[in-house]
Order: sequence, then C-alpha cells, then structure tokens
Amino acid sequence: MTQPILQAQDLHKRYEKVHAVQGISFDIQPGEIFSLLGPNGAGKTTTISMLSCLLSPSEGDAIIDGHSVRKDADAVKKVIGVVPQEIALYPDLTARENLVFWGKMYSLSGAHLKQRVEETLEIAGLSDRANEKVENYSGGMKRRINIAVGLLHEPKVLFMDEPTVGIDPQSRRRILDTVLELNQRGLTVLYTTHYMEEAAELSKRIGIVDNGKLIALGTQDELTKLVGESDAVHIGISGISEPEALLARLNALSDIHTAAYENEALLLQASNANAHLSEIIGAITAAGGQIKSIKVDEPNLEAVFLHLTGRALRD
Amino acid sequence: MKTLEIAIKDTLTRFRDWKALAGMLAAPLIISAMIGLAFGGLSSGEAPLQDIPMALVDLDQGELGQAYYDVLTSPDLETLIALERMQDAEAAKARIESGELRAVLVIPAGFSDNVIPDNEGNSGTASVELYTDPAASVSPVIIKSIVERISASINTLLLAGQVSGEQMAQYAPLLGQEMARLGEAIGAELQSSNFTFEDPPLGLEVVTTGEDEEPFDPFAFFIPGMAVFFLMFSMFEGSRSILQEERRWTLQRLISTPTSTWQIILGKMGGTFLTGLLQFAVLVISSSVLFGVSWGNSIAGLLIMVVLTVFAASGMGAMLTAFSRNENQAGVVGSAVSLVFGALGGSFFPADGLTGIVNIASRLTVNRWAMEGLLALTVERGGLADIQLPVLVLAGIGLVTFVLALLVFQKRFVK
Repeated sequence: MTQPILQAQDLHKRYEKVHAVQGISFDIQPGEIFSLLGPNGAGKTTTISMLSCLLSPSEGDAIIDGHSVRKDADAVKKVIGVVPQEIALYPDLTARENLVFWGKMYSLSGAHLKQRVEETLEIAGLSDRANEKVENYSGGMKRRINIAVGLLHEPKVLFMDEPTVGIDPQSRRRILDTVLELNQRGLTVLYTTHYMEEAAELSKRIGIVDNGKLIALGTQDELTKLVGESDAVHIGISGISEPEALLARLNALSDIHTAAYENEALLLQASNANAHLSEIIGAITAAGGQIKSIKVDEPNLEAVFLHLTGRALRD
Repeated sequence: MKTLEIAIKDTLTRFRDWKALAGMLAAPLIISAMIGLAFGGLSSGEAPLQDIPMALVDLDQGELGQAYYDVLTSPDLETLIALERMQDAEAAKARIESGELRAVLVIPAGFSDNVIPDNEGNSGTASVELYTDPAASVSPVIIKSIVERISASINTLLLAGQVSGEQMAQYAPLLGQEMARLGEAIGAELQSSNFTFEDPPLGLEVVTTGEDEEPFDPFAFFIPGMAVFFLMFSMFEGSRSILQEERRWTLQRLISTPTSTWQIILGKMGGTFLTGLLQFAVLVISSSVLFGVSWGNSIAGLLIMVVLTVFAASGMGAMLTAFSRNENQAGVVGSAVSLVFGALGGSFFPADGLTGIVNIASRLTVNRWAMEGLLALTVERGGLADIQLPVLVLAGIGLVTFVLALLVFQKRFVK
C-alpha cells in the first residue's frame, strides 16, 4: 500500500462545554474518494475544519502530503482545496471575478491564473455565464462555482463538506458526476455527507461518524457485513400512544434485531423481514397503530447506522 | 499584495452597491443641500437687492453731510437704498450686528468745516466712516461704491476750484440733481476764493463691523458636517463586513487559503479605509462642483485632514466591530454611535458653544476633531498651522483603535 496522502491521528476538538470531536483517526490513500457519513451535528464539519487548518485540534494531529496541520499549516493550505457547505462566494461579484479573486488568494497570477479560471469555469459548466453576478445564479450554479473555487490551484486533496445540500436532483447529479470525473483525473477527495446514497456511490471506503466519534470505517461491503443479512424496515405509523410497549413486543419477535420508534416512524432490522411482515403488522395493529407506509431495504449503510446507533441516519 | 487585493475587492463591492452608494454619497449631498437652502439659499444669504437698509449718522450737520443725505435719498437710489437718519453712531452700528441694517455712514462732526476752504482759502482733510455687515457680501460692496462715488464727486468739485453750475449740470444724470446743485453752490463759493489743494480733502474709511470674517456660507459648514457624519456610518458598515464574511463563510474560506490572518484583517480594514477615502474625495469634489463649496486654501491641509478623518473613523468602526458579538450587534452599535457622534461632535450644529460634560463627551468623538480641522480650513481659511491639534488627535484615535481592532480580530479568528 502506498503512503497515505492524509492521516488523521486521534483528532480531538473541545469547546467550553462540548467535546465536538473525540479521537477521530483515519487514512486516505492518494486518488481515493473517502466519505465521512453521519447525521447533522455528528462532527463532520469540525473534523474537516481541523484538516483545513480553520480550527486548531485540541489534541491529535493530521498529516497531509507530509505536512502537519498543527506545525505547518501554510504548507498544508497549499495542497488542499476546500469546498465548504456554505456558498462561500461574493454575491456582488461575477463568477469570473470571484474565481480571479480566490485565485489570487492562492497566489496565482497572470496567464496561469487566467487559464485556471477558464478551466474551472469549464469544469463547472458555467463558461457562458461567467460574467453574471453570482447573486443571480440558481442554487445549483452557485454550488458549482463554490466547487470551482476549491479547484483553482490544482490541489492534491479536495475537502468537500456536504456540497449537495439544498439543491435540486439535477444539480446534485451533476455535482456527483463532477466529483467522480475529478477523481478519475487523480484528485483525492474527502467527502462529507449525511446522504447514504452519495457516500455509497462515490466512495470505496466510508467512515461513519456519530456524536464526535468514528464508529465504523471500511468499504461498503465491510460495513454492511456488520449488520449481517438484516433488512431495514421503515414503517410509517400513527396512533401509537405507548411506543415502548410496542417496541418490547417487536423485540420479542424472532429475527428482529433492533427496533426503534421516532417521529411516527418505526425502524426495524430484521433477518428475512418479508417473512415476518404479518407478525409486525399484527403487533402494530394490536398497539392501536395505523400503518401509513411500509418499505423494506436490503442491508445498506442506513441499516449499518441504525445497527450501530439505534437511530436513523437522517436524524 | 493579498492585503491590497482584499482591500480592492471590498472597495469594488461597496461601490457597486447602489444602496450603499446612496448612503455614502447621495444622502450627505442631498441633506446638505436641503439644510443649506433652509439657511439662506445658494447665494450668500442676502435679501434681494432693493431697499438695502442703511442709516446715516450726520454729526456734521453741515452742507456736505446734507449732500450725502440728498444723494442717498435721490430718486435714482430710492428703490435701492432704504435710508434712515440716526443720531447715535454706536446704536446704528449695533443694528448692523443685529442684522437690521446692512450699512451705516457716519459723517463726523465738523466735516464740512474742515473740508470746505474758508474765505482765505485754507482747508483741511476729513473722512466719512462707512460700517458694513460682514454677513452680507453684495450689498456692502454696492453701498461702498455709491459712497465712494459721492465722495469722489465732492473731491472733484473741491479740487477743480472753479466749476460753473452749467458745467455741473451735464453730470446731473450721473450724480443726481442734488449733487449738481451742490456742485453749483460750491463752485460759486470757490470762485470767490483763491486756494490750492495738495491732497484730496475728502477720505472714506470703510469699516466692517464685528469680526473680520468671510460671509457665513451654510454649505461650508454643513457639507463637511454631513460628510463626516455619513463617513462614520459607512465606516461602521464597512467594518461590519468582516463579520458578514464570517457568516457567509468567505472569511473561513480565506483563512483556508495560504493567506495569513494578519493579511486578511489588514485587507478588510484597508478596504474600509480605501472606501472612506474615495467617499470623502467624491464628496469634496461634488460639493465644490454642485454647490461651489470652497474647501479652503490649503490642499495639503485638506489632504491630511481627509486621510486622518477616514483613518480615525475606520479605526473606530473596526474596533467596535471587533468587540461586537455578531453582525447584528455591530450594526446596532455602529448606527447608535454614528448618531451620537454626529450630534455631539458638531456634524449638525457648531460644537464651539458646548460646555461642561457635554463638551468633554464631544471631544471624545471623531466628528468633533474632524469638524474642528475641516472648519479651520473651509470657514476660517486656515492652513496647516491651524489644524495641528485635530491632526494629532485624529492620528492618535486612528492608531489606537486600529491596533486594538487588529489584536482582537486576530484573537477572534484564530481558533
């Protein structure tokens, strides 16, 4: 195995009352897309902020392309590109003006800057609208320019923090395709998301983060094996006055591994779930519940998260 | 270099914002124009040029004193001058101070006796005294011109020695019938005498009452006042943009680039400074063109005052922003401080008359020192020597607030 381009080593971030990141460690190989998957507030952005030298780790370190984020932040900043979750652009400037400004912040100048601006506009698919103010762009277009800024100085590692939040499916598809295309060109990507499907599509290896801890790490196959052959069953219900009693009854059924009830939704992990559906429905009906929807999924990352935390990933 | 790029980006962004431009440039000019017009219009603040109120104090009670009166009340001048006789010169001058009169002509006692030769041809010299209103710029010039013309005419008659009534008559349309008759009388008297003059016997002494000052131009006060007032607003607003960048995450993105925090903060503060400099420069030029405001005779003094006023204002804005918890708080505090500074610091009315604790509070504002320096140049026509204290204080305010802001921002953004 080659030397990792990024090594997060027992990273901690403590605030006055919150221990936001509690000892996260992982490696990323050159040319890999590595995803950090977890719900909002899990510690993904804090982790990526420490790796981007925005936050100083309370403990631990990260080595990126041989440079420590603690000791040699300037060298780290030259090899990383950052795409924040927010649209970190100047709305009063045009897309081209934004790119020129950010290029200068990466010490680009002259013909090279001009060339990189045109190339990144091409990647974003916005060359023909480069002279429009960013404030007039759609959400998806802004996201694409947001990514383009992170690519200007041809970084070795690109950090993308939830880059598809709040955009339409078409723009989301385009961004995912762009990430895959950039990776094919050799770019290493650290991608954070709370969308299981994105992590599953983009990454070979995934780290699952919850409450500031890395609770699982591996390939998708390795992770799904954690839940065995269990299916994930989502049942939308109403009229349940005593959920604890219902959960106790469901947990007593054979082949039901975990059962959780939140926000009028019942989440179960069960082996061969389809065979047990009639028993499950019977238990719900007996508890006074009315079923609104039922969905059975093969083992996936959502099931892994449920298996590891007892909660749904979207929460 | 990156610092400059950030400063230029901020300035460009600010000057592209129409709302910001309205606050920075249009508002001070419009408000100044409205106040200026309310305080006396675009001219010098004088009433229309007719019935110019004037008094004649004739202590001479002789022929020449009467001659001045006759000419000033002649039909040719009756619509121009509203003349009244007064006995007390001091009381007449007091009425100039109170604005009731534009001019007072005092004919001293014994004036005619001194000037008109006696039977042996002996005569002396004497002067009339003309007092004018310093707040008016046009009417004193007209009155002075008329009095000079009357005096010159009398001089001519006295110097000529022999002037016939017929000869004088041809000048009647110019001098008025009264002057022509006076000339005829003096000429007849002089024909019987034998005398020579070495000096003109009659002099005119023009005195401007009150302090020797330029007429009050409301624009010369209100334009600098409004310029400083709105500068404070835009400096607070500009400084606030660093917190806006934090909210938008462009600040975090800047920190993630190979750009030091010092460069970023200095760039942001530099952008506010550059914006203020351009704002003030545009106001100086546009007020000169639009309202004919004179910014004084010292270009170097004006440059120094503008640079240091903007330096102090932007430093104050940066410091208050640095200590604000968030963008909203900075906005509220900035607006409040701008208003208080404007009111206390003399942006709306001269702060010279303030006393006690209000005066002390006034002297803690950027506006007060900026106004003192600027008015020393615009109203008092002073030079570098007259703005030393404001220059020192503004430089001190700017330096202290800038350094404090830099340190606080640095601590705040390096986490």
